[in-house]
Amino acid sequence: MPNTPLISIRGLKKIFTTLTGEKIEALENIALDIYPGEFVSIVGPSGCGKTTLLKILAGLVQKDGGEIKVDKESFDPTREVGFVFQKPLLLDWRKVIDNVLLPIEILKINRASMFGRAQELLELVGLKGFEKAYPNELSGGMQQRVSIARALIHDPKLMLMDEPFGALDALTRERMNLELLRIWREAKKTVLFVTHGIAEAIFLSDRVAVLSARPSTVVTALDIHLSRPRTLNVRTSPEFGKLSMKVYDSLEMV
Amino acid sequence: MRKIFNFIWVRNRTSLTLLGFLILWQLVVTVFRIREFILPSPLSAILHLFFRQPDANYHWIKNISATLFEILIGFTVTVLLGIMIAVIVSWSQLSRRFFIPLFIFVNSLPIVAIAPIILLWLGYGIYTNVLIAFLVSFFPMVINTTTGLNKVDEDLLDLVRYHRGSKWQVLIKIRFPNSLPYIFSGLKICSTMCVVGVIVGEFVASDKGLGYIIINSQFTLDTPPIFAALIVIAVMGLGLFGLVSLLERIIIPWHGSVNG
Repeated sequence: MPNTPLISIRGLKKIFTTLTGEKIEALENIALDIYPGEFVSIVGPSGCGKTTLLKILAGLVQKDGGEIKVDKESFDPTREVGFVFQKPLLLDWRKVIDNVLLPIEILKINRASMFGRAQELLELVGLKGFEKAYPNELSGGMQQRVSIARALIHDPKLMLMDEPFGALDALTRERMNLELLRIWREAKKTVLFVTHGIAEAIFLSDRVAVLSARPSTVVTALDIHLSRPRTLNVRTSPEFGKLSMKVYDSLEMV
Repeated sequence: MRKIFNFIWVRNRTSLTLLGFLILWQLVVTVFRIREFILPSPLSAILHLFFRQPDANYHWIKNISATLFEILIGFTVTVLLGIMIAVIVSWSQLSRRFFIPLFIFVNSLPIVAIAPIILLWLGYGIYTNVLIAFLVSFFPMVINTTTGLNKVDEDLLDLVRYHRGSKWQVLIKIRFPNSLPYIFSGLKICSTMCVVGVIVGEFVASDKGLGYIIINSQFTLDTPPIFAALIVIAVMGLGLFGLVSLLERIIIPWHGSVNG
């Protein structure tokens, strides 16, 4: 693993003010390093600020303290982040291919030059032949695949994924996990993945960061040394069980 | 037999309903021997359109095209201005606070009451009627479009924001397409209101048009041309509405309202 982190987060703090003026400290002190090529998952109790953390990294929410250092030479956070949201957030009026090309238009990159890449990405996420379909003709799982292709179109270094499979049924979710690992391997991205699912986090990641309840801090960042490529078998292995217990333990659920 | 009837019915529901209504009307007039200046039969009204009457010349072609022209201009102006105003109104909170009360005020004025003033300012002719058509129909256009521009899933905006997209890009890529179904429902209301507006304008003051025929025929108790004019007006309203529905199918095929 390279020595310089792609992103280095120190002492990150976020305070929300409610409508009644009450101050809620969502993130108290987050410290986390993410290295190039790594797959890092963040797990934690509901409302602990996982989504907020991703949104701060994407520049959608302002931080209230701490610092986020990026390796400026190799990484431009304004253009090289791909965000996969909880909901697919596809534009109903655009065909699948035009949805995938949306970031290209916003970043004012020549659209025609990226058309081929959009088709390749749709193939990568298993949607070859659906270029001309409208989003509401697709199932939930397919819609989320489109949003993954869209997050990859501008070739970002860092993928921020906010419970992307949370709304899918269990079977589709497992299939999407396998797909995601394949895509990650082929597209060679750094991924920061937020999830509620502990098994999902361990199965996917090189490292699992466990957040405490609000005001949250990183309780532990657990290295996952399971060999790759991983198949669903790995879930029944004793190591997997041990790692799960460690995560439950740091969430104080044992 | 039943199947064939069903097929024809499903295909032509609107026109068959209309035809049924006309037949019923014709029967009522014939059976009850209603006098022509009270309620002429649809046949007599329609015949007035195609055959020159011995006692009067209604110049149908000239008058119909005058009204049709005013309706089309009024509709186009209202739609374009309405959408532009809606974009301005939705752009900032401040403009919303300023414009919306103003529009509500203008829209609450009874148009028949301010029409004489407009006539005073603009005189006889197309400007007056187009302005009246605009005043009658701009409100639903502006309100619908503004709603569509503002009623956007906030998360969709994040999609543009995290790429540091501009407010303009948000408008063009997200807000405007999002508002298209709302714009079309505004267009549908506007299409019929515009017809009303133009006819009101012709009532108040004009030297041609279907409204002019109605007013003139009323003075002479010459009822059939009034109904002939009404039928033409209804056909124009239906036609414009149909045109909007057709455009809706072509422009927003992705939207549920199209097949619903």
